[in-house]
Amino acid sequence: MDLVIALTINGLVWGLIVALIALGLSIIFGLLDIINVAHGDFFMVGTVLALVIAGTTGFWIALVLVPLLGLAMGLVVERLIIRPTISAASLTIVTTFGLSMILQETVRATFGAQPRRMAAPIQGTIPLFGLEYDVYRLFAAAFAALCIVAFFLFLSRTTLGTWIRAVRQDRETATALGIPVVRVCAFTFGLGTAMALLGGAIAAPITTVEFRTGVDILPVSFMAVVIGGLGNLKGTVAAAVLLAVLEGLISSFADPTLARITSLAVMCMVLLVKPRGLFAGATR
Amino acid sequence: MTAQRLKWLGVAAVAAGLGLAPVLLKFFGGLFWINVIAEILIWSLLAASVNLLLGYVGLLSFGQALYFGFGMYGVAIGISQFGLGLWPAFFLGIAAATAMAAVAGAIAVRLTWHYFAIITVVFSLIFYFVAMSAKSITGGDDGLSFSAPPLWKAAGWLLTDRTVQYYFIYLVCAACFTGMAFLIASPLGMRFNAVRDNEQRASLIGINVYYTRWIAFVISGLLAGVGGALFALFGRYASASYMFYHVSGEAVVWAIVGGIGSLLGPLVGTALLILFRELVSGLWENYLIAVGAFVILVVMFAPRGIVGIFSDLVEGRDRRKADARAALRNLAEAE
Repeated sequence: MDLVIALTINGLVWGLIVALIALGLSIIFGLLDIINVAHGDFFMVGTVLALVIAGTTGFWIALVLVPLLGLAMGLVVERLIIRPTISAASLTIVTTFGLSMILQETVRATFGAQPRRMAAPIQGTIPLFGLEYDVYRLFAAAFAALCIVAFFLFLSRTTLGTWIRAVRQDRETATALGIPVVRVCAFTFGLGTAMALLGGAIAAPITTVEFRTGVDILPVSFMAVVIGGLGNLKGTVAAAVLLAVLEGLISSFADPTLARITSLAVMCMVLLVKPRGLFAGATR
Repeated sequence: MTAQRLKWLGVAAVAAGLGLAPVLLKFFGGLFWINVIAEILIWSLLAASVNLLLGYVGLLSFGQALYFGFGMYGVAIGISQFGLGLWPAFFLGIAAATAMAAVAGAIAVRLTWHYFAIITVVFSLIFYFVAMSAKSITGGDDGLSFSAPPLWKAAGWLLTDRTVQYYFIYLVCAACFTGMAFLIASPLGMRFNAVRDNEQRASLIGINVYYTRWIAFVISGLLAGVGGALFALFGRYASASYMFYHVSGEAVVWAIVGGIGSLLGPLVGTALLILFRELVSGLWENYLIAVGAFVILVVMFAPRGIVGIFSDLVEGRDRRKADARAALRNLAEAE
């Protein structure tokens, strides 16, 4: 029973982090209409940068610095390789695939191929449902949740957020109203990248840090985006948490591979039965 | 010479060049390269399967590695577990891949574009994880090694002879590409294009869009399966890692870099990128950075791929000639 509770809470923690990453993927997807194959590697770069920066200045500064670096990186990437190929979605798959290779290999060349682990910045455990649970994991979940709330507030309460929603809804009308559409798109790509790197920074102390982790996180975030419904941001969050808890629950009595296969099968069903996502109609 | 004829001349030149490759390489003493060319031919079938769907039917599949994997494991399991001969195992692999594509396709082609791309990658991921965990059958990540039975016992043809192996691969690939050329020119191929260009119009003139897409999906699965079966025989090895979505992604990249919607585009793209990798990997340990940059640059400056540049040149030449003729005619009429 303890194992079931522990793995379920682990699933919840991981689900909130994945939700943050998947939201980044989702806004890029919704606004620029590109499938960003390098999004998982943005997460990976986040974990690596967090480890490196935390080693010199401490974890808390890294947590602030990493998303800012992510924003800068996203803006550069958008300008250099996304904007010239935005006209055809299949071309952006190739360019982001190339980017993914460059990111992975650069990290391998500089950081090394050896997987590393990072000490949690908050040590200690607290009793939770009758078991001793890591404080940092709870912090990570709370912080990720806070970032998600902040993201939704940003979208609904600020001018820039309103612009992003406007461009999403109707690009031409937005242009006619004088919204700088090209710059809004560039910023959105930067924001999505920053969210992936931030997710990486939060997750760095509870996962292994190496150049390959992005390959695993990419399908998971895509699943959350699709099951939640393309373009349905709140659905994405719900789907990410739901999937991670489901995988946690299943892996408490079967092996993790079976858990992964189950969530993939769930995704197939959703795509076929409700292609607009599980929560179509519920929100919006 | 018309553009069409020039293009076929190019195709014939490529076919002849590849056919003579072993003789030429033996003459110049570089027979090592024969295996590189064989590998290019094999992978070009996987890229061609992407091209058939994306270039002719307008569906982007990100899961072709699944059918490649079924072809590969069909051969490997057929030989190592059932003790089949080379040809029965070869056809078992192709049949397995085609059957899988028929089932997966029946579900996948109900969706289009983003949703289609995602469901194909989901299918391939499911079977990737299944293959990874079923270690007793597939060997998982470590893979499955076996020794290939003779190609033709009476003649003493063995795959261990590099030249024999090359011609076996060459002929199978040539048959696949020839079949694809006939397919594209056939009424079915016309229907593919009609569905790609305008789904609604196609269904209004009586084309069954669902069925047309399904057929294309099955044929493309067959192509990928042939590639996988050849790959297993070539390496005497099968591994679940070749079913991962990265392999599918690479095939998409090869096809787009070469130029989609053209017969030999995938072959050109595959050849270019594998040769580039072979050359750079000897010089630089982190050669993948160069490969990534190269891929980005190609699609930025040649969005229609390498073959696209070539056909622009050929068609441009044709158009200039036509323009000149028209100008001459106008001049004559004015006089």
